Amino acid sequence: MIVVELRKLFRRPRTWVTIGLLNALPVLVAVLLAWTDLAPRPGEGPAFLSAVLTNGTLYPLAALAIVLPLFLPIAVSVVAGEAVAGEAQGGTLRYLLARPAGRTRLLVAKLIAVVAFVVVTVVVVAGVGYVVGRLLFEVQPTGGTALSGTSLTSQELAVRTLLAIGYVTVSMLGVAAFALFFSTLTDSPLGATLGALAVLIASSLLFTLDAASSFAPYLPTRYWLAFVDLFRDPILWRDVVRGVALQAVYVVVLLGAAWANFTTKDVTS
Amino acid sequence: MLPPLIDALPAADAPTSAVDLRTRALGSAGVAFAGYAQSAGGLDLPVGEQLTDAADLFSDRTTMRAWYRGPADWRVDVVTPTGETGVHADGCGTWTWDWEDAVATWSEPGPLAFPSPSDLLPSALGRRLLSEAAEDELSRLGAERVAGRDALGLRVEPAAEAASVPRVDVWVDRATGLPLRVQVWGDDAAEPAMDTSFLELDLTVPPAEVTAFTVPEGAEVREGQAEQLLQAADRDRRRGPALPSSLAGLDRRVVEGAPRSVGVYGRGVTLLAVGVLPDRAAAGLRAELSRAPGAVVDPLGTRIAAGPLGLMIVDGPDGALLLTGTVTLDALAAAATDLTGRAG
Repeated sequence: MIVVELRKLFRRPRTWVTIGLLNALPVLVAVLLAWTDLAPRPGEGPAFLSAVLTNGTLYPLAALAIVLPLFLPIAVSVVAGEAVAGEAQGGTLRYLLARPAGRTRLLVAKLIAVVAFVVVTVVVVAGVGYVVGRLLFEVQPTGGTALSGTSLTSQELAVRTLLAIGYVTVSMLGVAAFALFFSTLTDSPLGATLGALAVLIASSLLFTLDAASSFAPYLPTRYWLAFVDLFRDPILWRDVVRGVALQAVYVVVLLGAAWANFTTKDVTS
Repeated sequence: MLPPLIDALPAADAPTSAVDLRTRALGSAGVAFAGYAQSAGGLDLPVGEQLTDAADLFSDRTTMRAWYRGPADWRVDVVTPTGETGVHADGCGTWTWDWEDAVATWSEPGPLAFPSPSDLLPSALGRRLLSEAAEDELSRLGAERVAGRDALGLRVEPAAEAASVPRVDVWVDRATGLPLRVQVWGDDAAEPAMDTSFLELDLTVPPAEVTAFTVPEGAEVREGQAEQLLQAADRDRRRGPALPSSLAGLDRRVVEGAPRSVGVYGRGVTLLAVGVLPDRAAAGLRAELSRAPGAVVDPLGTRIAAGPLGLMIVDGPDGALLLTGTVTLDALAAAATDLTGRAG
């Protein structure tokens, strides 16, 4: 069943159209930067973008920072929101459940397909960013400079970039968990997607308010940008660890709720 | 998830007197540590573009990482979501590294400087605010958990009539005497005007390579210069009035090497700085101050209070003077009268 779900997801043209569109913005930004030689002023724009003109190896990180606040969560919400609700809306959920595999296995298969989408999407964005960065910008053969001013070798930069890709992937799993949970509540994939996005927009808004500071550490988007801390020297693990732990809690609780709801609901469509 | 649980544990108090606790705090300059701290200020300073960095320190949340091996060997990084600015001290001066501009700036200590993020580290700020407090201004508070450690409370209530800060609370590490949290209170009893605290603290000596600094390849190197306003004050050393030995009841401090046209008055938490302003800066600042809510404009000049911090522009016979410090509006008016002979 897992293979079936994976095949279904990655054979669907719109999956690749989504991934392609996600890469369009970072590529456009890179072309504009290379064309005009005008990087954002320091402190403005996405993380790392002001530094890519002098070191293109940082562009995978800039590309992730460009899509992380909005486009990546939208893509993940669309795919995860459709996982169960899409089958219900299409009238195929009853037939899927008629097989002896059971609801739990179907949910696990859907979950693994969503996780695979998240991993592939983040890796493709970083990979395209790497290629674009090397083609369009200067590349320092010695590696690069950490935010703290110390030198990073090419190997250190590669390891930290891989850690950042892993961290962004974990951050998106929380988004997927919200959308998958909502997907078990409704027969409308759009409703599930918008529900997850509403949570994320509310979280981002509340994070900017001092009045919400008492519960800000528990907002799902609170630690998303902490992957930047992997490029400080010494690495600032504080928010990275908190971010991973927070996403783990959201994933476990929401998937548990999704499982509890899905295994007990009446499926009529 | 463990640190919040540790912080929730009740703190153990100790029968240490306020004076002894202050002595221990002042003696903690040799305590090495690595820490993560945040400061939050609620002061909205209408000072235009000349002093945005200093103003941001008092109005924003500043996140800092610090490694401290001793008074002459430390590093403080201000961490932002998109970059960082690090200050490395080595005994002769400081390197300031700004990643986003890729600029390394070497500065040697001067007689006067605007506040920088390293001044907001609880250990540095706590020792500074406690250093000149009189014994009868000190009292003990209870104990609290700060950064997972037992911290003993010490309160300073300035006796000076001009003081706009009614109290400062310093939470001192029970084991080492290191100030862990400093709260500067204004008239608003609900929220401190400035609150800086360690959130994490490790008392092992940081490695020397963490505090050392080597200029990165390709970085621009600059020589540090005093802020424009201090440069202007230095240029104008022949201009401006001879500053009196006391203003608004506060005695003038001796600041070696400071321009003659700049004077600092008071002690401890209650300080007042006076300096000549270049005409162009004075015009911009006066406009900013007069637009601020609660601004008082009268024959003496234009003055405002941003929390416990007062600012005033006075038109003297030789040009504009800037008065600023942790003093009341009445004290600013009295100082202006002392300087110009005019009444409000």
